Amino acid sequence: MSVSALNQPPVLDHYRELFASTWAARAPKRDALTQLRQASLDRFLATGFPTQRDEAWKYTNLRRLESRRFTPAESAAVAAEDSRWIPDCGHRLVLINGTMLPGLSTPAPQPPGVTVLSLAQWAQHSPDEVAEFLSRHEPATPGPFENLNGAFSDDGIVIDIAQGFALDHPLYIVHHWRAPRTPGSSQMAHPRVIVRAGQQSQCSVISHYTGVDQADAFSNPWISFDLAAGARVEHLRIQEEGSRTFHIGSSHVRLARDANFTSHEFALGASLGRNSTMVQLAEPGASVSLNGLFAPTGTQHLDTHIRIDHAAAHTQSRQDYRGIAAARGRGVFNGKVIVRPHAQKIDARQSNRNLLLSATAEIDTRPELEIYADDVKCSHGATTGQLDPVSLFYLRSRGLGEEEARALLIRAFAQSMLATVKVGPVRTWLEARVQQRFDLSASGLPESL
Amino acid sequence: MLVIDNLKARVGGKDVLKGLNLTINAGEVHAIMGPNGSGKSTLAQVLAGRDGYEVTGGSVTYQSRDLLALAPEERAREGVFLAFQYPVEIPGVNNVYLLKAGLNAIRKHRGEPEVDAFEFLALVREKMKLMQMDESFLNRAVNEGFSGGEKKRNEILQMAILEPKLALLDETDSGLDIDALRVVANGVNSLRRPDRAIVMVTHYQRLLDYIEPDHVHVLSGGRILKSGDKSLALELESRGYDWVKEDPAAA
Repeated sequence: MSVSALNQPPVLDHYRELFASTWAARAPKRDALTQLRQASLDRFLATGFPTQRDEAWKYTNLRRLESRRFTPAESAAVAAEDSRWIPDCGHRLVLINGTMLPGLSTPAPQPPGVTVLSLAQWAQHSPDEVAEFLSRHEPATPGPFENLNGAFSDDGIVIDIAQGFALDHPLYIVHHWRAPRTPGSSQMAHPRVIVRAGQQSQCSVISHYTGVDQADAFSNPWISFDLAAGARVEHLRIQEEGSRTFHIGSSHVRLARDANFTSHEFALGASLGRNSTMVQLAEPGASVSLNGLFAPTGTQHLDTHIRIDHAAAHTQSRQDYRGIAAARGRGVFNGKVIVRPHAQKIDARQSNRNLLLSATAEIDTRPELEIYADDVKCSHGATTGQLDPVSLFYLRSRGLGEEEARALLIRAFAQSMLATVKVGPVRTWLEARVQQRFDLSASGLPESL
Repeated sequence: MLVIDNLKARVGGKDVLKGLNLTINAGEVHAIMGPNGSGKSTLAQVLAGRDGYEVTGGSVTYQSRDLLALAPEERAREGVFLAFQYPVEIPGVNNVYLLKAGLNAIRKHRGEPEVDAFEFLALVREKMKLMQMDESFLNRAVNEGFSGGEKKRNEILQMAILEPKLALLDETDSGLDIDALRVVANGVNSLRRPDRAIVMVTHYQRLLDYIEPDHVHVLSGGRILKSGDKSLALELESRGYDWVKEDPAAA
């Protein structure tokens, strides 16, 4: 694939040159893995970053991200666990600036029935195997950010849950940013996580994106779930990156017969945050339930993008998302459901409810249904409004101050999403985080109504 | 306790209260009756401080203070309580939380310490028994999925716990079957005290069979047209409201 360099904006030159300088020294032999990366890069260079002319990016402008010249993150050691992490939470796996650190991961012996592998370590021993493995997990049409991840990713985790095994504690994956040793540099990380759940297995995975308030970091994580027949997987995704970080995440889920995937997504941090969840209900009986909360404040832009593909009959999907926007925060919800021609007896429901806390906040919600079968049940509903004045008056008439009443109603709105998180200690931790955030945004922002 | 002098108010650009006068003393129970659209509920909302109810004239003095100058929560903390005609459903906020937050806000205003958790629970249990409410109400969201009767009972439960000085009951009898009406009335009667005034706004005489008023007023066209004792309510029941409007001796 040759694209004339003259027609390309300089930003693509940056990534091309970066690719050469990054991998030339590390993989001079051009093994299969390097070739796979090269193919990803070529696809990325052919399209460049998406623009708002692209329907899937209609409400999210990437110019600020494009204008930065990010370089691969320096690996950094962390001596002790960070207070931002969820304490005593299952089997912890830690990636610092995109690189896995076994030292902080707990417990040392892996639980029986679970295999955890660092992609970087695996690649050191057998790059050809890794290349073959990764190409098998590549989607049919990867997007620009997945291509960028494929080109620059040099670490990540592969998790296998054995057939019939039920993991009783969550696998807690911490993605932590540390400040770069070179002050002022803009760094990026492209961690790749692949979870394969064997037949009739069960597990919970927590992806937690956190770290210091670092300047101009770019976090581009990609996680894939492959559920074999009858597997049940729960994913809790907590995005609380630093206030100047760009976070563009991709989640891919493929479900075989009678498998069930549940996810709870909390988008709280980052300057510009986006997560795309792409679900393929590949065989009959598969079901998926996605819910979440996005809460932009200040000048944050948080975008939730979902695409559910009912590729088989007798499949079910649920989407239930809530947005709360304060100050000049902007939220986007775009949930798309596709029902293939032969996929009859489909039940697909979508709901998005949004709360605007200031006159300058904005939430764009766009449900999309593409239905090519006739025996289906599909529904969607979206509402966007302000705090109910009658509820506020009711609480105040019982003696609660105006600010207290507002904070209570905001928390109550978020509560229904928090209540869906089943792991008790994690839910309590998350409730406190969300509460702290809304207490601040309800009382501390001059622009709130 | 409460002196309403020539009160005028408008809602949605329409004049509803047109010079209303009323004096309520501690220990009294007043019933304000009147046809639909007469301004009964507007009066209750104005006294509680609801937004969108614009006072265009007159004054309301509550315990020697200008009531209209106070925010809704300040009125509540000073002892004004409104039992809503349509209690609001608030998903995600549980009943016991609201009761405790309200009680503590009022105690704090009085300079008292926060209520002790055990005392509070004992208090709530006692009052729930009075209102014949199941304990599961406590952990349900405020009014969410409650039947009409449950909502009204919940209003009186809140009132019993917050112990107001001036209780305003807005159409508390509407939508209640006879058993629920008895329970609600019983709750209200238990709250009659020499230092507390109760004002019931109602369309029907039925409630007054269970809660006997000291004074009955007929509100029509935004003004009190006639005042009397409980026999006035019976007369209204048999003769209807038109009789008062046409009576030249009224007001």
